[in-house]
Amino acid sequence: MGTKISMVSVSKLHSRLHAGNSISLSAHVVKESLFISRIAPSEIGLLINTGIYRYRNTGEPSIASLIQRKVIPLQRKLSKEDEAAANRNIFSFDLSNGGCGWLSAIEIIDGFIQTGQIHHGLVVTADSEPFPGFSENYNFRPAAAAIILSGNGTAGGFMHFRTYSFPGFSEEFTGATRFGRLKGRWGKRNILVIRERETFAENCVGCALTSLNSFFNETGYSLKDIDLIIPSQCPEGFLRGIMERSGFSDKFVVVSDTSNKVLHTAGPAFALNDSWNDNRFRSSGNILFLTVGSGITVSIALYKNYSS
Amino acid sequence: MLTDMDGKCHIESIGIKIPDERMTTRDLTAKIKIPGIEKFGLLTGIQERRVCSGNEDSFSLACDAATDCLAHSKYKADELDLIICCSITRYKNGLSHLYEPSFSLLIKKVIEAHKATTFDISNACAGMLTGVYIAENLFRRGTIRTCMIVSGEYISNLYDHALKNIRTPLSSEMSSLTVGDCGAAVILEKVAEDAEGLILSGFRTLGHLSGLCTGGQNKRSPGGYMKTKSIQIHKTSVINCLPVVRDALESNGLTFDMIDYLIPHQTSRSSIISGAIKLSDSEGKKPGNLVVNLRDTGNTASTTHFLALYMYLNDKRFHVGDRVMLLCFASGLVIGVVIFRMNEIVYRYGNKN
Repeated sequence: MGTKISMVSVSKLHSRLHAGNSISLSAHVVKESLFISRIAPSEIGLLINTGIYRYRNTGEPSIASLIQRKVIPLQRKLSKEDEAAANRNIFSFDLSNGGCGWLSAIEIIDGFIQTGQIHHGLVVTADSEPFPGFSENYNFRPAAAAIILSGNGTAGGFMHFRTYSFPGFSEEFTGATRFGRLKGRWGKRNILVIRERETFAENCVGCALTSLNSFFNETGYSLKDIDLIIPSQCPEGFLRGIMERSGFSDKFVVVSDTSNKVLHTAGPAFALNDSWNDNRFRSSGNILFLTVGSGITVSIALYKNYSS
Repeated sequence: MLTDMDGKCHIESIGIKIPDERMTTRDLTAKIKIPGIEKFGLLTGIQERRVCSGNEDSFSLACDAATDCLAHSKYKADELDLIICCSITRYKNGLSHLYEPSFSLLIKKVIEAHKATTFDISNACAGMLTGVYIAENLFRRGTIRTCMIVSGEYISNLYDHALKNIRTPLSSEMSSLTVGDCGAAVILEKVAEDAEGLILSGFRTLGHLSGLCTGGQNKRSPGGYMKTKSIQIHKTSVINCLPVVRDALESNGLTFDMIDYLIPHQTSRSSIISGAIKLSDSEGKKPGNLVVNLRDTGNTASTTHFLALYMYLNDKRFHVGDRVMLLCFASGLVIGVVIFRMNEIVYRYGNKN
């Protein structure tokens, strides 16, 4: 039995009012994906949020539970009893693994589907500036993406999940708060500070290529067998570098974006959405998901599309 | 969502790090001028809690707990297949909250677990048991053979915000005074098909109740805050856990009196006891022992269950074959049950009988 993608839905910032609200953005894409796929919220067994930068630096409860709270009562007009009953089927939590969290969450949901514990799972990811205007070097576009995964009796779907990490590069990219004064602002406060070394993108390319070699050695596939690659869209320069050095630039899905900001954890989902909409995804047999993020961590998975 | 298992993994070792610095309830509550505050220690059952000092933070507590766990384990760090960090607070270098890279990756680097895959999860006080829930599925699939679940909670910084804002005994920040700092780690290992392993049941998130306990980083001061509707969260947790516990027991052919040790999430003595009475009334039977482990450490968030297990192991209270039920309640509102039998782990903590 394979774990298949039932639906992918993405959303970019529509209003400045939601600039710092990753929860609203997430709830919007989750509702859209459930509506289009005609799956009731109560049918989702596992809901995982993988966004990193969140509304007002919320620590608890999990962002996933707050999304769940917004999604269930609004999907259908439920009585309080029905709302409680709908919630009883869902387990939700947040997962954080830099730019690779999205694929880590898909692997977890695949596991629960494979063991028959759930039929549908949902991964949602969104990043937004916790307090708009109160960060240093924050250059991620407010964006959200949701993907619904379902068990399917046929072969294919996700397989060969692998994660490789390179802790020697753990200082290359950090996102942390510090208490202090922001330049040009009055008073001290908790400020989100993003630090990215100039060598980060180049090292991400190197780590991704090393990981791809290991992946192909372990699975018996080669880059020639791959029809389409759904990659992370950041850090800036990563895609250009890996496309040049891999020699298969035509296989990578690049999200066209005119803004000067980059897509963080939602990047690979946006690439998936683009290839889903222009039919490249359905017409490809072997699709490789390649995510990279701080750590440096690289996660790779293969998706076999037998409908092609 | 129910999981029905034969037992594919069990607890191999537990490690704990509690800071040396103590903060007594008397010293803490002396800073507040509200009626009845002198009874706070009596009601909660907390006499003191441990608090970070010097260079201690969430990261150092988690690393020290992981090291202690390995010291009690037959496994070496490079034999770990997976590390999941479940801290709510990710303070590193003081009160700087680290969002990325993941804590688990940095812990892997410190303990030199070269081949371990890593990721962090966050699910409030249910974090470590959520980690167990995820890991069990990976054991079930044969993806991993060993896994470390670790958490470091530096939550004593909540006191500052609470002390400034508590005006009445019903303040939503009263529960911030119950917390203490702690790091905990547990190694799970794969066991034979016919062996009895962990039973996980009823893990669910009642999202419509997610507003009952909220917390995060302060906007204009270092550290964090936590606001809890204590009475409401206690009532709803108990009501919603009754069918979960019954389901867990019935689906595994157990009755409540077959549980030798019931370890609920450690919040306050009065709520633990009243919750246990309601559970016993509902089931018509009582568990052998109810574990209240608050006196010297307070509520240590995601680490409470494993801190209690560790202390009871070191006090040599467990025997091989004892059946333990871990009951988790957490903001979200998250509910879940883990049941297992004590195994040879008791010998590694000094029990000779």
